[in-house]
Amino acid sequence: MKRNQFLILGLLPAIFLMTFLFVLPSLWGIYSSFTNMALLGKEAANFRFLGFENYIKLFKDSAFYTSFFNTIYFVIGSALIGQFLLGLIIALLIDYAERRKIPGRGIVYGIVLLAWINPTLIAGFQWSAMYDYYYGTLNTFLKFLGLPKINWLGSIPMLSVIVANIWRGTAFTMLIWLSALKTIPVELYEAGKIDGANAFNRFRYITVPMLRDIITVNLIQITMATMGAFLLIWAITSGGPGLKTTTLSLFAYRTAFESYRLGYGSAIAVIMLLINLFFGIIYIRLFRRR
Amino acid sequence: MCKYSKLIPIIFFFIFLIINSFAKPITIKVWYPDELGVKPKYVDKAAEDFRKAFPDVNLEVTRYKIPSGDFLTKLLLAIDAKEAPDVFHVGGTLMPEFVEAKYIRPLTPYVVKWEDWQYYPKSIKDAVRYKGHYYTIPYGLDVRWLYYRKDIFAKAGLPTDWKPKGWDDILNTAQKIKNSVPNVIPFVIYAGVAGGGGTVNHGYIPLLYGTKALAYDIKSGKYVIDTSAVKKVLEFYKKAFIDLKLVPQEVLTLPKPWTTMREKLGAGELAILFEGGWVYGGWVTKYGLENVEKTVGYTLMPSEKGTPYFTVGGLGTCWYISSQSKNPDLAWEFIKRFNTRDIVAKINIEDPHPVARLDSAELPEFKAIKYLYDCTQILNQAKFEPMAPGISKFGNRVQLMTGRVASGEMSVDSALQKFIEEMKSDFGDVIIK
Repeated sequence: MKRNQFLILGLLPAIFLMTFLFVLPSLWGIYSSFTNMALLGKEAANFRFLGFENYIKLFKDSAFYTSFFNTIYFVIGSALIGQFLLGLIIALLIDYAERRKIPGRGIVYGIVLLAWINPTLIAGFQWSAMYDYYYGTLNTFLKFLGLPKINWLGSIPMLSVIVANIWRGTAFTMLIWLSALKTIPVELYEAGKIDGANAFNRFRYITVPMLRDIITVNLIQITMATMGAFLLIWAITSGGPGLKTTTLSLFAYRTAFESYRLGYGSAIAVIMLLINLFFGIIYIRLFRRR
Repeated sequence: MCKYSKLIPIIFFFIFLIINSFAKPITIKVWYPDELGVKPKYVDKAAEDFRKAFPDVNLEVTRYKIPSGDFLTKLLLAIDAKEAPDVFHVGGTLMPEFVEAKYIRPLTPYVVKWEDWQYYPKSIKDAVRYKGHYYTIPYGLDVRWLYYRKDIFAKAGLPTDWKPKGWDDILNTAQKIKNSVPNVIPFVIYAGVAGGGGTVNHGYIPLLYGTKALAYDIKSGKYVIDTSAVKKVLEFYKKAFIDLKLVPQEVLTLPKPWTTMREKLGAGELAILFEGGWVYGGWVTKYGLENVEKTVGYTLMPSEKGTPYFTVGGLGTCWYISSQSKNPDLAWEFIKRFNTRDIVAKINIEDPHPVARLDSAELPEFKAIKYLYDCTQILNQAKFEPMAPGISKFGNRVQLMTGRVASGEMSVDSALQKFIEEMKSDFGDVIIK
């Protein structure tokens, strides 16, 4: 009993911080999504409880569906296909190189990490400078090769921001993969080899089961981070052209801090929370140990 | 006499000291955004005059070196947290929204007693009046011009004293430039979300006014959608962006198209640009007044069929007194000291804008600059930006509508229909003609 009391006492600072920095703001966000809270105009002076009005309006708002599907494309393209798979491939290659002491592995490792060390906003401006139609690095290079310019942010805006986000985020997933790969004993692979398992089967029957928990954590983490990605897209396209790269986080920001409708913006944020929760549950169920 | 009577003055003295130690001096807080560094010396001059007149008042002036949009968000959050400064500086078009939110005090009791109020023309006084009260005093106004490169016009065999005879003439001129001067962007007018405020105030609104329609009905307090007028505006966008390809699609996709397009006109890579009056100063700083006068022409936007020629006027950024201010009289004293004849003239010479005060325009150094003189002269042909609550929401809907047509994503009819739906959803009741 005394031991339990001591443990609870030790947890108090964490509980206190979580309550004030996470639980209360979240509850406040949920509450405000049921109101007409605003920073400007008539609504700012006439605060009212609206019930589900914001949500009803949201589900009738075509900009919401555009942003929702943009978010899905962005998460699938950037987090799942890009960061998750590319991070895994790079980690497997570096791990392979390290186990065989292949020279140059440190350089590859360093190059990938460089993208991650860069602050997100700076990375956004770098990519913006790369994609610029008139003065951008990519089009200058195409011109040098005698090829026609491409309107990167006009013709393929979503793909452009996905590529930038993959470049920026892959290092993190690679680090997680790499540290997890190092926990797998070499003996297991050797035993697999003796049993006649080829490289793919060793990956399928040794690596994947051993990394099951890490896969879940990694997927949840990158999905949440990608869904909430704001700065990078903001710096490159600001959600444009039109709404073509407006994800839910940009839509929520624009609504709350450009149209100054905090209540409606909070409703969008609550929907984002639910989508994240949905992805989290799917991942946990998918990789639950049987 | 009581034996302690001698102590009474000493006790009173200590009570006085204690009370005095608790009494704080009155503080007036002034906030303003400024990235370019033009305003500080004029704000400091007003602050210096204020401090001389009220030496016991603590005047705290804070300059925020951030974009005006970010400043607005910061200010609104401070107001929401009941931490508003006494005096702040934001765009004039936001006035109705600030009034509706009960964030600002009317200046009517002050201006009616202010002798300098006589120097402001009626059109300006009308523009800053909302629901029967004056709420702000502008100092540098906004106007819009069609800027064009005289050298490119000469190469294309076009007259360099251009005065377009209507919308078709603008498009025809741009088409001639496209055909005869390669590697030059013929024409730029902003559209879409990327164009920001430019899409609204030097894009959609001037075109709409050119059809003689309005965006907002002051009497009923409702937004107006004149379908035939909006269709004409959208047709113009369609022709310019899609059919004739005179405006490049990059205007819709560059994150800040105005930065690039201003640079391109200054560098002689763009022939015609519809822009705000304030951009001229940027070219003068970079290329020198003489060069700019020689190469950059400016003309008024015509109506759809030519006359009347007009400009879209705006109040620029203005000072307001917060409704949370406990010392509005002192706050007014600061505003008054900023809006003097000299400060208004000098700040607008440095950052070229027409002046709101008529006597400032009479200063010889102001009159000496032809561009400023012309800007001030066209004020009597100005039609002002809509002064309406919900203007940011309206602006956002306009950006989406023009972007949909200019990118070819939607037809004129579908974009108009979508605009009507969105406006109804945002404002409930709108007048549809």
